[in-house]
Amino acid sequence: MPASQLYATLIDALPDPILVVAGFERDDLTGRRYILANAAGRELLRITAEEGMLLSAVRDPDVLGAVDKALFDEVDAEGVYETTGAQTRSLRVRARWLGFGGDGARLALLTFHDETEVRRVERTRVDFLANASHELRTPLASLSGFIETLRGHAKDDPTAREKFLGIMQAQADRMARLIADLTSLSRIELDEHVPPRGVVDLGLLVGEVVEAAAPLGAQRRVKLDWRPCAAQSAFVRGERDQIVQVVQNLLDNAIKYSPDGAAVRIEMQSGINDLTAAASYEPMPRLSLVAPDPSGETYAVLRVTDLGPGIARQNLPRLSERFYRVDGQKTGARSGTGLGLAIVKHIMNRHRGGLVVASAEGEGSTFIAYFPMANVPAGVVKAS
Amino acid sequence: MNEHIVRSYEDELNSLAAECVRMGGLTEAQVADAVSGVVKRNQELAASVVVRDDKLDEAERDIERKTIRLIALRQPVADDLRRAVAAMKVANNLERCGDLAKNIAKRTLVIIESDPLTPLTRSIERMGKLVLGRLSSVIDAYSRSDLERALAVWSQDDEVDEHYNSLFRELLTYMMGDPRTITACAHMLFVAKNLERIGDHATNIAEIVHYEITGAEMIGGRPKTDALKA
Repeated sequence: MPASQLYATLIDALPDPILVVAGFERDDLTGRRYILANAAGRELLRITAEEGMLLSAVRDPDVLGAVDKALFDEVDAEGVYETTGAQTRSLRVRARWLGFGGDGARLALLTFHDETEVRRVERTRVDFLANASHELRTPLASLSGFIETLRGHAKDDPTAREKFLGIMQAQADRMARLIADLTSLSRIELDEHVPPRGVVDLGLLVGEVVEAAAPLGAQRRVKLDWRPCAAQSAFVRGERDQIVQVVQNLLDNAIKYSPDGAAVRIEMQSGINDLTAAASYEPMPRLSLVAPDPSGETYAVLRVTDLGPGIARQNLPRLSERFYRVDGQKTGARSGTGLGLAIVKHIMNRHRGGLVVASAEGEGSTFIAYFPMANVPAGVVKAS
Repeated sequence: MNEHIVRSYEDELNSLAAECVRMGGLTEAQVADAVSGVVKRNQELAASVVVRDDKLDEAERDIERKTIRLIALRQPVADDLRRAVAAMKVANNLERCGDLAKNIAKRTLVIIESDPLTPLTRSIERMGKLVLGRLSSVIDAYSRSDLERALAVWSQDDEVDEHYNSLFRELLTYMMGDPRTITACAHMLFVAKNLERIGDHATNIAEIVHYEITGAEMIGGRPKTDALKA
């Protein structure tokens, strides 16, 4: 490989986004162009060409200010660049004066360094402490209350003792469930910006989860109506365990809120675009909790519909909030940890998929999860 | 490099659009900082949003002046005329977004004098993120002449409304629960309303992009769910 080609390959392969910007005059906006962008840079700024107008790639005033400083004041400058969209990333931008190019253009180098992780970890810790302590307080208070009673006047009453121990067991289970969900959530969150690896046949996977959930359905006298998609297989990019968790949580919720004897409908469809995937059949209020950045990918979609009490429209936007439970569901037979959908949301976000809920009070709910499909030659995966 | 720069007509139109995009970037930053200011209770950030609004006003005036000059001197027709008019209208909408962001920042300065309303600021943050996403998507659509993206923004107007309605209820609950929060909550309500209107301006811009590219107006009403009926 000749040296010049090696350098070009090298720059393109660098993990941090890099841009070289050229400009002539300070007041000539269209004259500022990026003349080189490596692969990471093209992905970050969602540009396809290796050169073009700078403003078509980035318009953040902070970054533009830094570029101007480097280009025209010939000094190094820094800024912060934040992406909008489903996954917010925060990057430190450095602009450095490079000198004059062959055509007399002023040149500057723009490098981006991802600092999302640092900020996220900080924030996760703060939230975790605040929420977890609050949620654990209730069962703990109840536990210590019963211990006090058992030590006091219920000491010699075997019937009361049995009853209280039963309640204490339930509370301890609840705390254990909560802690399991919290750890799982915080792990998923830490990995949220790491693209998932692997390819999974969604149809096969959903079939397995539905089968495994059949006993729970039978116990609650809820019928599971599984309708696989017409296509033979629907391969999606993703981590198997996490996708199982998505399907399981959606299914658990649907079973939990279904009335006696009702059916939960589980449908699949594949090879459609994001707009079709996110659409619901029923004319109900609809809200997307996670939406992928528009990319022209095809998706495989899973719809889970229950005939439960439904969710009032004003509660829809809060659904995936941590520890949020619709009124009256904080206690009793349907009590959950309030983390199930938050977990689903984070997994969907990591997989660059989407999550939509359509629901109306008294008419049931539909949860729609869609995953980007993987491009694999049919023969390769069949064999594995 | 002292030669006189002779700009072609095409260049002039391009640079008009470029200035709109730059102004869009500025507006996005203003809205993002305004939301971040109210969520993180950051007085300094809020104050800086108020100060920086002048820049947007100036950018709008500048674009307007240049558009009028271009129309007068070049007398564009068809596509070119639409591009020129679109630039002016987009700038107009962006300037309104900036005003609303400035208003949010001003209210932030009042809100941070009372106790924090943690669950509420979360809802505001979520709504802010959604609105900002729409704004940024529509500016992308404008800068890349991407009709499909503009249509996507246009057809998803109802989500912001859902958030607004939800926040409205939440605020009512708070105010009924503790009258001492009324001042902060009332301001918060306007913050939410302002965000909702920024969302509306994003929809307007989507319509302008549609007009610019196709020459036809959007037909049919927006997919709006009635905010007051909920």
